[in-house]
Amino acid sequence: MTRTTRRRFTVAAALATATVLAATACAPRTGTNDSSPEEIDASSLVTSLPAATTAVDEVTWAVVEGEPQTLDPSSSANIIIPNLCDSLLTVEPGFTLEAGIAEKAEWIDPVTFEITVRDGVSFWDGTPVTAADVAYSLERNRTPASQWYAAFALISSIETSSDGTVIVHFTAPDTTFRDALGGGGGAVMSKAFGDTVGADLGTSGGGLMCAGPYQLDDWKPGTEISVTANPDYWNGAPLTERIRFVFVTDGATLTSALTAGEIDGAFNVPPGSRQSFEAEDGEGRLISGPSTASYSFGPTSADSAAADPRVRQALSLAIDRSTYIDTVLQGLGQVQKTIVPPFVWSGMEAKDTYQDAYDALPSPEVDLDAAKDLIAESGIDTSTPLVLAVPAGAKEFSQTASIIQSAAKDIGLTVTIDERQPADFGALFYTPELRDGIDFVATTGYLEVPGVLGYPQLFMLPAEFGGIFNWSGYANDEVTADLQAARTATDATTAAEAFVSAQEIFAPDQLQVTLAGAYQLTYLSDDLTGITTSVAIYSSPWALRLGGE
Amino acid sequence: MLGKLGGLALTLFLASVIIFSALLLTPGDPVTALAGGARPTPELIAAIRAEYRLDDPVWLQYLHWLGGVVTGDFGRSFVYKTDVAELVGARFAVTFQLVLLTTALIAVFGLGSGILAAIGSRRTDMVVSVTTSLGMALPTFIVAILLIWIFATSLGWFPTFGAGEEGLDRLWHLVLPAVSLALMFIAYISRVTRSALVAQLHSEHVETARVRGIPWGRVFRRHVFHNAAPQILAISGTTIAGLFAASAIAEQAFGLGGVGSLLTEAAARKDLPVVQVVSLLLVALFVVLNAIADLLAAAIDPDSAGTRRNA
Repeated sequence: MTRTTRRRFTVAAALATATVLAATACAPRTGTNDSSPEEIDASSLVTSLPAATTAVDEVTWAVVEGEPQTLDPSSSANIIIPNLCDSLLTVEPGFTLEAGIAEKAEWIDPVTFEITVRDGVSFWDGTPVTAADVAYSLERNRTPASQWYAAFALISSIETSSDGTVIVHFTAPDTTFRDALGGGGGAVMSKAFGDTVGADLGTSGGGLMCAGPYQLDDWKPGTEISVTANPDYWNGAPLTERIRFVFVTDGATLTSALTAGEIDGAFNVPPGSRQSFEAEDGEGRLISGPSTASYSFGPTSADSAAADPRVRQALSLAIDRSTYIDTVLQGLGQVQKTIVPPFVWSGMEAKDTYQDAYDALPSPEVDLDAAKDLIAESGIDTSTPLVLAVPAGAKEFSQTASIIQSAAKDIGLTVTIDERQPADFGALFYTPELRDGIDFVATTGYLEVPGVLGYPQLFMLPAEFGGIFNWSGYANDEVTADLQAARTATDATTAAEAFVSAQEIFAPDQLQVTLAGAYQLTYLSDDLTGITTSVAIYSSPWALRLGGE
Repeated sequence: MLGKLGGLALTLFLASVIIFSALLLTPGDPVTALAGGARPTPELIAAIRAEYRLDDPVWLQYLHWLGGVVTGDFGRSFVYKTDVAELVGARFAVTFQLVLLTTALIAVFGLGSGILAAIGSRRTDMVVSVTTSLGMALPTFIVAILLIWIFATSLGWFPTFGAGEEGLDRLWHLVLPAVSLALMFIAYISRVTRSALVAQLHSEHVETARVRGIPWGRVFRRHVFHNAAPQILAISGTTIAGLFAASAIAEQAFGLGGVGSLLTEAAARKDLPVVQVVSLLLVALFVVLNAIADLLAAAIDPDSAGTRRNA
């Protein structure tokens, strides 16, 4: 699971442009209510809307992240791809993994994985999906350029048989591989088409050939991407004939276009516009779904005071999470105890083991005295300001930065804020020199397929084991051993037990200080229904059942 | 005329050098855009740098780029991986139409109110002066938000978003963006027009003409407006050329997807080939439109334009 990297960049960049004007534009909409926003109980979150019954000619959908760079599933994650390119497995709205283009995809021994391709599945051009296409698609992820590379790193070879079976051989067992098949890592593309188009695959010029419920119709760069229903889709044709994806990165524009009914729906709408979205004269409704998204901040160097867990624990003790959720998320989020979001294992086999361990973790609380003690104990030089990098222009992040800054002040620390433009901020993640002079970086991310190891492997393992974001040089032998054991375990229970034993140690060390879990926010026209509204939108064909109420 | 063209070419050349080198000096690494969000390993970064010649010396990169531009190859977008020419071309139409409509608004209301203020009653002058002060003080994005709120969201007369389909629908979609973009410039042109006309009205030859009993209408056309026109035209030329860049804000607020918003997005994503070409295009437009304004001014009043010496 390398997905975090890219997602962190994209989400940050999108927020940067999406939310600046939101508050200004929405102010006049509803009655004034100065009390804190109403919190939504996690049990009332909606994973999907009832399936539609009426056909619809055309739906206009806003992509708040802006125009995608490519529709190639191996190098991009966006909300358009899952409707175009079906994966071997499907992530259901409740975050369980079900069969997709693969009728079966299972480990047949600890280092051998067998995929049986479903019969009668065709690409948009009518050619059948074969084992060769599947092998070709999987091979595309066996290069570091793919965002799914980590889950494919232990593969030694991929072979096909004429009867529609693909056998994947591994150098060591890897529990993360099957989960990746539910996302873009398992997306199936036509080999013949890919060979013809070459490097342009997925771009506006090259196009795509997949087997999803919608087929790419027209991509006018800078204007829109339109897709039309695939009448021969293996899992039943969609009800909506055509979807026009338009790119609206400005929060105010998005909010007014949605509430005025000019755009039918959008995911990841800004929480800052909650009042406008919930106003009675709007053309649609705001839906909160479960998500794996969270806001957090973490250390960027090994020789900063931020590398000391006590400093991070102290900051965590100084931040009031409910104020944070009210201010930044307008109540549309929940307290999250540790870096691994609960929804990510909610559909997994050993979910009880994960849940019990999560319940046993302490909830974050405010205790300024304990925080000050921790700072004193750490012996850091409190006269040196700590620098916190955030993406510029995003309201959520400027609020996050001020909250961290004022909490730090309460316990005698000085935090200075370093706002960076999107490209500059994104580059921080893999250009070490750019992190010079920075102590913390605040970010947001989500995981789009089930699996608990996505974040821990990146943040807790030593760099040589894949800890690419382990900038503070965290190295705990027990954590490393447990996480490796969880990855290579051959059964779900052993994997879960190894993971929770690692979590017991790494959670209190707060390699990322988790500030809040954010809900998946969707705004949809009152006339429409049938879509997925959980974070599964990144991996499942969410528009398949979209149509009239 | 040839000298003029030479000047244009020189300006463009200098602009291209400045644009190219300035971009390389700004913070942020183009590899971010090129990697497209994948986790780049050192090998991948090296491959990308080699493919896009990022390790070449700046002058060599510049020459390579210039060679491409001269032969019509504007390069490929780092972010979209498509030809820049195609990307810019697709977006230019919307911006051009927006600027055209805005220009019409500015011409009618800016010139109109300026003339009114100059020749009307004291009261009219006051009203125009107060209104234009207000107009100049309102930033485009504030006007855009207000217009959307009043005319799109509340009254529902205009769409809040997008450029619509070609034709009347497009015009309808462009009204609010054009008004929000035009307001500040209307105020500006109004003031320029008024002061240029007032200066002429108080000039000696106008006084003389009036004393000699020449009809007022004729004095105004032949002397006042005729003499003030070159100045107004020169300023208008700059203004209209500037609209192409200023349109970014209106395009962003109304989700129009023109070259202005392309430029801001490309700059944020460090998409160098796009930023270079769009910047150069804007400079070229600026220079050419100014030259046209110059020529027009000279055509109206050959004496006032020193630029036509060699024509």
